Amino acid sequence: MFLKKQFIKVKFQYFVKNKIMSKLIIAALMMLLVSETAFSQESFASIKLKSTSGKTIDISELAANSKDTMVVLSFWATWCIPCINELEIINDVFEEKQAIKPFKFYGVSVDDSRTAQRVKPFIKGKGWVFDVLMDINSELKRSLNITDVPHVIIIKDNKIVYRHTGYIAGEEDNLFEAIKNL
Amino acid sequence: MKLTTTHCIIAFLMIIGIQQNTEAQSINNYIKGHFNGSFENYTQSYMQDDKIGAFMPQDKIGSNSFLKLDYNFSKFSAGIQFESYLPSILGFFPIPTSNQSKIVNKYFKYTDNKFSVQVGDFYEQFGSGLIFRAFENRQIGINNAHEGFDIHVEPTDFLKLKVIYGRPRKLFEYANTVSRGVDAEVNINSLLKLKEKENGLSILLGGSYVSKFEEYTGAIDNFPSTINAYAGRLDISTNDLSISTEYVDKSKDPNLLNNLSFEKGKAFQLDAAYTKNNFGVTATYRGIYNMNFISERDVEFGSLAPVNYLPALTKQHDYLTSNIYVYAAQGKGESGFQTDLFYTFKSGTALGGKYGTKLSFNASLFGSLKDSNNIFGIGDEKYYRDINMEIKKKLSKKMEITIGLQQIFYNSSVIQAVSSEDVNAYVVAIGGLYKFAPKKSIRFKAEHLSTQNDQGSWASALAELSLSGPYAFYASDLFNYGKTKNHYYNFGASVTKNATRFSLGFGKQRAGLFCVGGICRFVPASYGFTASLTTSFAN
Repeated sequence: MFLKKQFIKVKFQYFVKNKIMSKLIIAALMMLLVSETAFSQESFASIKLKSTSGKTIDISELAANSKDTMVVLSFWATWCIPCINELEIINDVFEEKQAIKPFKFYGVSVDDSRTAQRVKPFIKGKGWVFDVLMDINSELKRSLNITDVPHVIIIKDNKIVYRHTGYIAGEEDNLFEAIKNL
Repeated sequence: MKLTTTHCIIAFLMIIGIQQNTEAQSINNYIKGHFNGSFENYTQSYMQDDKIGAFMPQDKIGSNSFLKLDYNFSKFSAGIQFESYLPSILGFFPIPTSNQSKIVNKYFKYTDNKFSVQVGDFYEQFGSGLIFRAFENRQIGINNAHEGFDIHVEPTDFLKLKVIYGRPRKLFEYANTVSRGVDAEVNINSLLKLKEKENGLSILLGGSYVSKFEEYTGAIDNFPSTINAYAGRLDISTNDLSISTEYVDKSKDPNLLNNLSFEKGKAFQLDAAYTKNNFGVTATYRGIYNMNFISERDVEFGSLAPVNYLPALTKQHDYLTSNIYVYAAQGKGESGFQTDLFYTFKSGTALGGKYGTKLSFNASLFGSLKDSNNIFGIGDEKYYRDINMEIKKKLSKKMEITIGLQQIFYNSSVIQAVSSEDVNAYVVAIGGLYKFAPKKSIRFKAEHLSTQNDQGSWASALAELSLSGPYAFYASDLFNYGKTKNHYYNFGASVTKNATRFSLGFGKQRAGLFCVGGICRFVPASYGFTASLTTSFAN
């Protein structure tokens, strides 16, 4: 509640100067306050990404249906070496870990149009078994405040319950332990 | 009619009313909104070092900070971004930036199933970005988010439309220009009601129009104040094969970067990719002419407020020595290609060994256009060539090695715009990872770049020790033994807990092109401490 008040206070002080935009934003915030008591199902922004297997996935729907089966998102890029090291280790034990406790797993590639065409051949050439979502203009990365790659999050019951940035050999054990205990 | 606060409130309450009337209401469906944010800080201290050309500014510290807050509830989301440069890190902005702290980005977005509208500052991309891209790259100091509105609508099941209107951000202000555009994408499968094919055939046809207006008050006759750009694209893909192509045409766009040329601009790009089992291959061709599309015609640096995205289509290497000679895309005119090949020799095979062997090969070549403005074909003058391969092999459960080889041709006169000899260089790199205990490992890499040109040969070594996950220590040295005898050493440590990471280092940074995501910025030499703190949080 305190954070929300601070958030609203900061916005109000700045946008008094910028009249048209401030009117729109203040109106929207008032509406948000009103809608706090309304009814809803999704609390993640609706962002649709294409997967390398040809499907379109809506993140808000994925999160809304994560009550029984958690969703693991691993943000990476073809130019990020620690990301590739992490995903190779995960791929090696993927089926074994799924047998212990099933979980939905997506690699979210933040490769932009400079390297995006490389993603599918890259993952096939490496023999990776999981699906990869294409976040070409970093829309999901921005929405979830992913500061840098590699970055792994676990969503369960519509909430982010695990978050880790960076990768050092052995870190995957912490991830699988978190999956086991959730 | 003047837009008043009352109008805005009424409009948004109407949207809620329409939405609520179409949904079943139940106390059991109540869920609070989702709040998340992030904070990043990069701080450098500067000391004088005449040997490497490291200059100590009057304010010996540079510090960049970013705070971002986002809130989402049901179909509504809003957020702000606060940035602070006290002052900015040397080389971060192309022009000196005095101490500034400001909320630079604010937005509000409503998203429904087939419709979304974002007002405030937005990021967007049409096609590959050759015609329009509003994006952020913090490491290189680019943020051309546009302030205005961005609407997405899907009027039918086969058509997706985007409409944008806004003025781009330029450092801490907004440029004195406005961009508006529309993008349409047609799903041919849905349009022709094709049955889902076993081979996964998908055909998408797209078109974009972008118009940029900047007032002209000079004396030149017929000077265009509106630049119009058109693009068409086609994507065809199956489970194994994909082909994408895009063509962009830009009207006369005289500006400082093209010496007030009245010629039109154009670009063509073709991408193809094939995958099968453990094999993947890609090929890309791109030809561009007069395609620097910038917001303000008088800006000296194209990266200040671009309208489109022109990355260098070359491989971004992880090696210290490979990053000495990096390519920057030549918006005035270039053509070239790049190809990648990925293959895994499975475990149990002769070349695969016990754990498998991964091979990757990459080659790129860029040069002048064949004729003055013919974007199909590579001309006689070569700008850059990179041929490289890498083999990664796991020797045991605890040990893996990587071997890399690279050959580079670098046309300094064109890429760095200074009269200088061409560079032919060879790079050999060997690296490895050894896990000596659970959650404890050591990573090492040794490289050698040999050349007779420019500053002669270089050697480098790097070691990184990781202990129990949170702690890591590193030390590296890049040594120019060919000519200057300068050591660019660095050492430091980092600690990571969940989504928070803090690092502290000390050392020397070489002057040169620093490229991230294909966009390059010239950074000056520096010597001193570097600290960074990044964190993400959510409710």
